Amino acid sequence: MSRRPPRGEYIETDTGNKVARKATLVGTQNIMLGGKTVIQPDVMIRGDLARTIPPAQSASGGPANNTAVAIGRYCFLSRGCCLRPPGRMYKGVFTFMPLRLGDHVFVGPGTVVQAAQIGNHVHIGGKVVIGEFAIIKDYVKVLDGSVVPPNMVIPSFSIVAGQPARIIGEIPEGGIEAFELRDLYKTVGNNPQPTAP
Amino acid sequence: MSSATPSPVPSSAHGHHKRHSILPAVSQSGPKPPVQFSSSCTIADSALLTGPHTIIVSTESVIHPRARLESLGGRVTVGRRCIVHERACLGAADLQGRYHKGSPDKEGRSMGAVTLGDYVTVEVGAQVESGGTVIGEGTTVGIGTRVGAGAVVGKHCTLTANSTVAAGEVIPDYTVIYSNGLRRIDRRGVSELKNKAQARQIDVLRRMIPSNPGKFQ
Repeated sequence: MSRRPPRGEYIETDTGNKVARKATLVGTQNIMLGGKTVIQPDVMIRGDLARTIPPAQSASGGPANNTAVAIGRYCFLSRGCCLRPPGRMYKGVFTFMPLRLGDHVFVGPGTVVQAAQIGNHVHIGGKVVIGEFAIIKDYVKVLDGSVVPPNMVIPSFSIVAGQPARIIGEIPEGGIEAFELRDLYKTVGNNPQPTAP
Repeated sequence: MSSATPSPVPSSAHGHHKRHSILPAVSQSGPKPPVQFSSSCTIADSALLTGPHTIIVSTESVIHPRARLESLGGRVTVGRRCIVHERACLGAADLQGRYHKGSPDKEGRSMGAVTLGDYVTVEVGAQVESGGTVIGEGTTVGIGTRVGAGAVVGKHCTLTANSTVAAGEVIPDYTVIYSNGLRRIDRRGVSELKNKAQARQIDVLRRMIPSNPGKFQ
């Protein structure tokens, strides 16, 4: 006779995030979710790997911002993917740097992301590896199985694939609608809606 | 609430304290292996150690959360200042699900399942199969890479992401495996620097990852 209602597979927050109970979030105090983000089961986010040295030119007076992983709105983290902040030597000390995801970022199953920054409307396929400190701009598609090398900068509207990843094409005009993740957001959660026809 | 019985708090219930992580319970299946930990190693609480054989973790090595060390095929040895990242698996079964036993060496001693030298990094989701597999000093096993049973990887090698080393293969020192199987020799001569950087990284990780070796002892 449980007092609480039956528990769904997901925890749904006030801001519309849907976080699977079986997701592994380490160091949640350093993980920022923008809202309407879906985190599927077996996703791992390493928020505990926060930066150890403060940013050089921080806004004076502001509270110490120790975010390790910042995720925008309408992101979709598929089953088994892993987000972890990149780390490197900086001025003789090792430090992790924050990992920033924009809005409408899809991360495929089994993918490992160690990028510095991922823009808005980015589609990352399954079994992809995004190397440390890679920067992916807006409207980029990373095909399944790609290995994006560390420090690579991928310009907007690119399609990349391969091991190591290379730019193999461009997003055609009118192809940017496919990056919209609002509909996908509705299809998961405790009360999933059927996909729109 | 009735005062007669202390209200049992289910282990899954959460609420009173501010949670710092949501880590679902790790299913500890199989026997608890005998372990030999150095007093200065860091082993995350949610690491998974299974198997009947001894697991040795040497000085200043770091085992991340959700890393798996399986000693079903024999002893697993982690050298000094190694980093085993999350979801990496040492002593894994091969693709057919078999745990290989290492063939004994000339003196008849067992080679154990997996031996990591010093300063080895095993990245996220990499699999090192059991069966006398040896990874040499300073080698990096990239994300999602699979090292087959009985392979001997030399010193200061770099196995980039999603590459494979076949079972029984011998990789010479300073080899770089990249781009789906291409190979070259690393002639930069930066292995000393890499070892230093690894030590710095471990200094940071030791402060970040709460260690709980007592759980496994």
